[in-house]
Amino acid sequence: MSEALEITGLRKSYGPVEVLRGVDLHARAGEIHALLGENGAGKSTLIKVLSGVTGADAGTVMLGGRRLTLGRPTASTAAGVRTVFQELSTIPQLTVAENLLYGAEPLTPWRLVSGRRLRAQARELLARYGLSRIDVTRPLGELALGDRQLLEVVKALREQPRVLVLDEATSALSSEDSAWVLEQGRRAADQGAVVLLITHRLAEMRAHAERLTVLRGGESVISGPTAGFSDDELIVGMLGRRLEVLYPQRSGAPGEALLEARGLAVGDRVGPLDLTVRRGEVLGVGGLQGQGQRELLMALGGACGSHGELRLRGAAYGASSPKAALAAGVALVPEDRQREGLFLQQQVRDNITIASLRALTRPGGLLDAPRAERAAREQATQVGVATDRLGTVVSALSGGNQQKVVLGKALLADPSVLLLHDCTRGVDVGTKADIFALIAELADRGVAVVFYSSDLSELVHVCDRVAVMAEGRIVGEVAGEELTEQAILRLAVGAETARRALVSVGANSPREPSPPGAGSPAPSRQFEEAS
Amino acid sequence: MRRLRGHVSVSTASAFGLCAVLFLIATIHSSGFASGGNVRQLLVFSAFIGFAALGQTVVVLSGGLDLSVPWLMAFGGIQLSHWAGDGLPGGVAIALVVLAGALIGLVNGIGVAWLRLPPIIMTLAMGGLIQAYLLSLGVLNSGDSGVPHAAEAAASDRIGPVPVVAVVWLVVAVAIGIVLARSAAGRRVYAVGANDEVARLSGIDVGRVRLAAYALSGASAAFAGVILAGYVGSTYLDIGAPYLFASIAAVIVGGASIMGGRGTYWGTVAGALTLTVLSAMLPLFHLSDAGLKVVYGVVILAGVWLSQSGGALVARLRQRPSSPTTASPEVKSVEP
Amino acid sequence: MSTASPPLDAAPRGARLSLPRIPLGTAATALLLLVLFVVDLNVQPGLWDLDQLGMLVQTALPLVFVAAAQTLALLVRGIDLSVGGVFAIANTMTAVWVGADGGWPMLVVVLLAGLAAGAVNGLLISYLSFQPFIATLGTWTAYSGIALMILSTDGGMVPTVLSDMLYQSWLGIPSSFWIVLIAFLLWRILRASRFGHQLLAVGDDEERARLNGTPVRRVRLIVYALAGACAAAGGIMLAGVTSTGSPTSGDAYILLSISAVVIGGTSLAGGRGGFGLSLMGVFSLTLISDIVTGANLDVWVSVAASALLLLAMVTIRALADRRTARSAA
Repeated sequence: MSEALEITGLRKSYGPVEVLRGVDLHARAGEIHALLGENGAGKSTLIKVLSGVTGADAGTVMLGGRRLTLGRPTASTAAGVRTVFQELSTIPQLTVAENLLYGAEPLTPWRLVSGRRLRAQARELLARYGLSRIDVTRPLGELALGDRQLLEVVKALREQPRVLVLDEATSALSSEDSAWVLEQGRRAADQGAVVLLITHRLAEMRAHAERLTVLRGGESVISGPTAGFSDDELIVGMLGRRLEVLYPQRSGAPGEALLEARGLAVGDRVGPLDLTVRRGEVLGVGGLQGQGQRELLMALGGACGSHGELRLRGAAYGASSPKAALAAGVALVPEDRQREGLFLQQQVRDNITIASLRALTRPGGLLDAPRAERAAREQATQVGVATDRLGTVVSALSGGNQQKVVLGKALLADPSVLLLHDCTRGVDVGTKADIFALIAELADRGVAVVFYSSDLSELVHVCDRVAVMAEGRIVGEVAGEELTEQAILRLAVGAETARRALVSVGANSPREPSPPGAGSPAPSRQFEEAS
Repeated sequence: MRRLRGHVSVSTASAFGLCAVLFLIATIHSSGFASGGNVRQLLVFSAFIGFAALGQTVVVLSGGLDLSVPWLMAFGGIQLSHWAGDGLPGGVAIALVVLAGALIGLVNGIGVAWLRLPPIIMTLAMGGLIQAYLLSLGVLNSGDSGVPHAAEAAASDRIGPVPVVAVVWLVVAVAIGIVLARSAAGRRVYAVGANDEVARLSGIDVGRVRLAAYALSGASAAFAGVILAGYVGSTYLDIGAPYLFASIAAVIVGGASIMGGRGTYWGTVAGALTLTVLSAMLPLFHLSDAGLKVVYGVVILAGVWLSQSGGALVARLRQRPSSPTTASPEVKSVEP
Repeated sequence: MSTASPPLDAAPRGARLSLPRIPLGTAATALLLLVLFVVDLNVQPGLWDLDQLGMLVQTALPLVFVAAAQTLALLVRGIDLSVGGVFAIANTMTAVWVGADGGWPMLVVVLLAGLAAGAVNGLLISYLSFQPFIATLGTWTAYSGIALMILSTDGGMVPTVLSDMLYQSWLGIPSSFWIVLIAFLLWRILRASRFGHQLLAVGDDEERARLNGTPVRRVRLIVYALAGACAAAGGIMLAGVTSTGSPTSGDAYILLSISAVVIGGTSLAGGRGGFGLSLMGVFSLTLISDIVTGANLDVWVSVAASALLLLAMVTIRALADRRTARSAA
């Protein structure tokens, strides 16, 4: 095999913490090779070494028989390694054209960037991928997240990579856009590249990857053809233990209405919508990404302004601020745990108690330190964070543990309504199981939980009832026997396909073959499957 | 915040350490440096910086910056002279001036908290407005109308061998230290400074924290201006000019992060003492004013570097693992 | 599903004329400048004369260059408080070391000194990870001291080639205009170069710039060095205009430069803005001062007006930003 990727004995430590302990990975040219593992297993570090963002302490990376110089982004780029990061690498203030051709801008004879050629090349590039609808002169920060991630892929593909790394590149995309990305990965593989696919979605992995490697604790524990391992075997490989029951049983039954919204609207894009959440119920919020779910949860949690009527326990609930919401007993676990949920440089104990200061303050203003410590300890135990880590600075924790800390903070405030915004995104399997168990326990105790997830199977197994959102409104609800992935998808996509059908018939670009972001065959295929 | 045994943070300890080292060097060079009279003077001068930097510390901890401090100080002295000149009793005039300072600071807070203006800009502009107001009073740089006796007394009285100013400073330092370290309000200040969006989503009223911080800064700077005027015996427009630099330098040398979320007022105390000792000792080495400034600048940078790297040094000495994410400190912006 | 040929709707060359979208902020600043200019013309009728206008521009020259320095620093998400010190060093060097008989090569050396001073900032900030505010606070102090060492009180002799040049006219236009024009052109060249793109990327989003292979630390170092050179140019200009050296002359320009740049529209958050905007800010402040003098108002009016203008411009922009952010959501 000419362009194989051979990683041998890779070691990397950050201080005394050994993150990679001799990782081996062999991927062939022309194949899509999946890289699996829990958070903290070393996947991100491996990718960083491969793309040159960090160096390694020992081990080699060979590309097509040649050794890659580690620790230099330019060396990796020169060797043809392109990474599509989960976190975007595009620069918001620069235009689309400037971003796509960053570092390779066409120059005039005077060594100045030629604006005209820059834009022309960018347009041509977009056209190649059917994305001409995107205006190359717009500052990239103005585009929607989905478009930005698509551009991220285009940027990576620009120069025919020899190694294409898709690092959870589809985690924030709709299903059609995800399919488009993976199709590009397939094309790149067909052209001889090595494609590394990092994903938590086992189904996605099975559909696209021929071979896989599983990392656990900085070592490769499983590798081989995808078909040769069952999901169970893979999970055991990732966790090192059997996963008993991922989704726990529920014992309680929903009670009376606790939180009611009538005519709730946020800005002019979301709402009006009506919603009822009952005691002891887990209400799911589904739908494609970016259909207003964030605004709904933020509004219910007082984190953004809204119009309409909100009632809590029958009385008016003025969700004017997160402070007011918490006082009323509504707690929000926000979308981005690192930017919205945690003080990364503070300790676990301080993060857990910060939303409950009033309850922990003595009259006179001083904090009741022993009580605060006890509360932090108990709460950490409840969410499954080891109590010897109370003094650890949160930035040192894994994604799953960080998510647990944010949950702990919300729970310490003793809410009667808990709003969870995609709290299992980027979280390892083991922590997910813990979180689902916690949700079930809370619901059984009478807490009303609003659970937004981008994962259909989670919605089906965790929730009693799912409200599906599209275009800022609730287009339907599924519950009981009818609560299936197909049913949710049908509702989510049905409205979407109708809208896009209208758009493509309209003026914009009638002769342009449908770009991936609007009405590609994928949804109708799923639609047919569902019916 | 990394802590040594007990409650003292590493950065604060190293700030006091630096001060002690400098004092020692000066005393070795010239034993008179440690005399009662000299130490008294050092304490009083440090107190001026300490009061000017009191509010500045809280503002910086909350993620902001107050560039109007020098003008608030000038306002303190000048407005006091005017009101005392108009017949108000000294003590009442002082109280009113401090209150007025707090109100001015409140305006700063409104600009930062509600209009979301960058603190540098808001306080810069506010400083300009205060300057314009003082100019319109017809004040120039000549020694102006007398300063009320109350202010002079406050500045130079003693309790036994210790200046009243220093005692008041100590009391205030202890109080602020307790509030910052042990109260809910203190936790909120640190939270807002660390990440104001996370603070908001955690149920903290960020606006109120900021308003309080800037109001405190206004009050303490005005008070600093009062006692400074009392000490000097007169007031003039530029009286506060050196204190912009000094108040910020004291906070930073004391180990606080300019981005907010980290630091203590005791660190600022150490910083104020260090700066004062430094500028008092350099003439002993026959350095001109110019040389003084150069050394000043270098020491500031060294002091900051020490307090920031001190934590890493201690960790290494104790073989405690430093977290993976502190591997390379990011170059941050100046977005207070 | 994916396309093989380019879409057929691509516009034939030349058929589409796209106007560069002028951001609202730039338009507002330009409008402000225009209004102030008109008012000043009314109050100072002598300004209708090109030579008089040239004199006005000349008084602004030092600030023009310090604002250039500050613009560069702000664009990479930093700040440069040491401009006051570098300014003073250049100013005193010009009056003492270059002296009355000094020629242009010696002035170039002064600029290089500014470059070196700025590079020190860049080293502290980029490679030793100091916060820009703190690093430049420290170097400002040190540099002020050095300036005092060069010249302890106002005095010295300024090179005649410099002061002569400042009072000349070429093609009927005063040299101060030309100087501003050349400075602006140099900025446009910088902006259009690959380095200029990298500069903005670093200021906008450093992590991402790094991911894209930009040598972030080196870019910052160069930017601060250039800022130092600009600050030095400002000091040279003041020496030329006042025909004397002053070791404390730089301090006032620090906060003034921040004001001018922010009024102009460059963001404190980096990645957005430019020298053209800062020029407008500089002249806005200059005009205010001139208006106040011409209308025989007290000095405090000028101070208050500048402060209020700063507040107004920032508030307007903040509100406008918030509105666009809301509608783009």
